Amino acid sequence: MSEITRDSEPRRLAAEARDRVRFEEEALDLADQVYRVARRLVSTREEAEDLMQEAYARAFRSWRSYTPGTNLRAWLLRILTNLNIDRARRRQRAPLEQPLEEGDYFLYNKLEQASRDGNVDEERVLERLSQDDVVGALSAVPHDFRDVIVLVDIGDFTYADAAQILDIPIGTVMSRLHRGRRILKGELADRVGEA
Amino acid sequence: MEDLCEKCEEIMQPYLDRELSDEERREAEQHLAGCGFCARRYRFEDSLRKFVRKCCEEPMPAELKAKLAALRTPL
Repeated sequence: MSEITRDSEPRRLAAEARDRVRFEEEALDLADQVYRVARRLVSTREEAEDLMQEAYARAFRSWRSYTPGTNLRAWLLRILTNLNIDRARRRQRAPLEQPLEEGDYFLYNKLEQASRDGNVDEERVLERLSQDDVVGALSAVPHDFRDVIVLVDIGDFTYADAAQILDIPIGTVMSRLHRGRRILKGELADRVGEA
Repeated sequence: MEDLCEKCEEIMQPYLDRELSDEERREAEQHLAGCGFCARRYRFEDSLRKFVRKCCEEPMPAELKAKLAALRTPL
């Protein structure tokens, strides 16, 4: 081993440790935002906490595969959604087939009808739904569809980011969003009916 | 007229998700300005998304952050 190599090795290790610490700090700074999405990908807080810990443990182990300067939040969520999809497969939940003949106006019409007023303000129409109704309705959406809704509507990701995180084409993101939102509206409408 | 709004149906979702090009967005806004039916639906969809987002917010428990920090590689 030459003198130069011997001298450069500690420097390389020190630089690597600095990079790793920086990565870990940046990942932890994003934990609140990642949790906001994780919490709605699964049904319970306990599941979300387990998923977060599993995802962060994996992220810290494989930090070298992250390219600095790219979207770290999306990178973390890609790990997390892959873990979640694996868990769902292990549970072997059968894909839910739901009839979707209702139009997009179904929820609106139902809410409007429920308000017994033909010309109500759109935002006031939503006041008929409680937070539990919304959370319950979202949980009832099959996970393939719910994942894209959560990433785009709650995580504020673009279609392209959501496609990369879930490793599916953008066209699939769009069609799942469209169908998923219709299922969500159907679930919400059911809850208005129960009120 | 509902029957004439097929184009709007197609662009409503990417418009709400801010995924249209500038030109497509202008086209969508022009349509919404002249079509009360679509404008009303657009407002409802927009409110619904904001409402779902607000209802689904749940802050991360403080103890979870500590658990995540403990997963860091020791120096």
